[in-house]
Amino acid sequence: MIERLLVCRSGSFDPYHNLALEEALLHRVGKGELILYLWQNERTVVIGKNQNPWKECRTALLNEEGGHLARRLSGGGAVFHDLGNLNFTFLMSAEDYDLPRQLTVLEKACQSLGIPAQRSGRNDLLADGRKFSGNAFYSHGGKSYHHGTLMVDVDMEKVQRYLSPSKAKLAAKGVDSVRSRVVNLKEFVPDLTIERLSDALIAALAEVYVPNLSLRDQCAHWSWQSVLPVQTLSADEFDLSELTAKYASDAWLYGPKLPFTLSVEDRFPWGGVEIQLNVNEGVIRAAKVYTDAMDETLAPRLEAVLPGIPLRSEALSAALPEQQKDELLSLLRKAL
Amino acid sequence: MSIPNELRYTKSHEWIKEEGDIAIVGITDFAQNALGDVVFINLPEAGDEVVAGESFGDVESVKAVSDLLSPVSGIVKAVNEELIDAPEMLNSDPYGAWIIKVEQVTDREELLDADDYEALCAEEG
Repeated sequence: MIERLLVCRSGSFDPYHNLALEEALLHRVGKGELILYLWQNERTVVIGKNQNPWKECRTALLNEEGGHLARRLSGGGAVFHDLGNLNFTFLMSAEDYDLPRQLTVLEKACQSLGIPAQRSGRNDLLADGRKFSGNAFYSHGGKSYHHGTLMVDVDMEKVQRYLSPSKAKLAAKGVDSVRSRVVNLKEFVPDLTIERLSDALIAALAEVYVPNLSLRDQCAHWSWQSVLPVQTLSADEFDLSELTAKYASDAWLYGPKLPFTLSVEDRFPWGGVEIQLNVNEGVIRAAKVYTDAMDETLAPRLEAVLPGIPLRSEALSAALPEQQKDELLSLLRKAL
Repeated sequence: MSIPNELRYTKSHEWIKEEGDIAIVGITDFAQNALGDVVFINLPEAGDEVVAGESFGDVESVKAVSDLLSPVSGIVKAVNEELIDAPEMLNSDPYGAWIIKVEQVTDREELLDADDYEALCAEEG
């Protein structure tokens, strides 16, 4: 039974730090405790645990424009975060985990703001038939978390830009994203801020988990710190350097054992080229090149040079032969 | 819900069948039903060590990633590679879709027989 409510807010917008803090909080949460963790990431695509980044996200474009790719522990599909989005995580022991009750917190918070929230069959939250909150779940070592996005004022152009489908033909195992029509909560509550939504979540948390608490009895301009039986938990008490490094590492982002094949093709003034790659753990394992170019050495040269190269812009750029480099890079970029 | 008599069970809803020196491990009908549609599985490799009560892999179902806990300590002799391409077999045939075979078993979790496991499932509803 939940007897202690704690709220932790990250002061950082770094996705790797924030995911590290989320994992540290999962280790930290004790029996009978519920931690509500609130966090925001700057320009980040977050993919599910078992997703292929090349399939889900335009990784090269995202990196070039100062964005971040992150992989979370929970399942599900790719989402885009910016500072118009608020993330929440409910963390607790597995025996205290109660998804309907946690969703009720979200619904009550939305209702208090005048948002007509409804649950979807995939445990997401919709308003007016469009999704504003995607939810996902993780359990490990007798602890569980339920987390999700809350889109307040997300840059929808960026969502399209970074989550657009790959131009490469890609055959991969792993979990595919389910595309949804999304909506910002600002459409329903024009003056909604992240701060107001955060306060509404904390108030709803107390309303759902503390019996006999009537928020109506509280004064109109309450500060939840002084009124509600909810304690704060400082992010500073955790040493997150190791976990942050894990979440930021190429091994975590690109390296899982998810073998896949991809094929890209294009036509240049000197001929057409099709490149087929076998990739595993983020590294090209084999390459097959088909071309009608006059240069008969092109195919064998590429087939010799590509295996062993990580499937990333910088590594490919460094490895490709100078001749036709720009064209070949533009071709391979279709896969990135 | 199906609970075959010849198997033994963990409180975390794995089944185990011991054939000679080999322990065969899977997840129960109750587990697959609670998980929902399994869409992905992360398996160990043959030769890996597993520890009783600790995670040896995980499954993803309906956006949830959950641990698979080993009922025994030992060395992985084989993994069911078919599950990589068809993880939904864990839903359609939980007792046919074994996950790992373990050899050199040194330790066991507390195991339940079918009757006790059925009582546990009834309790967890």
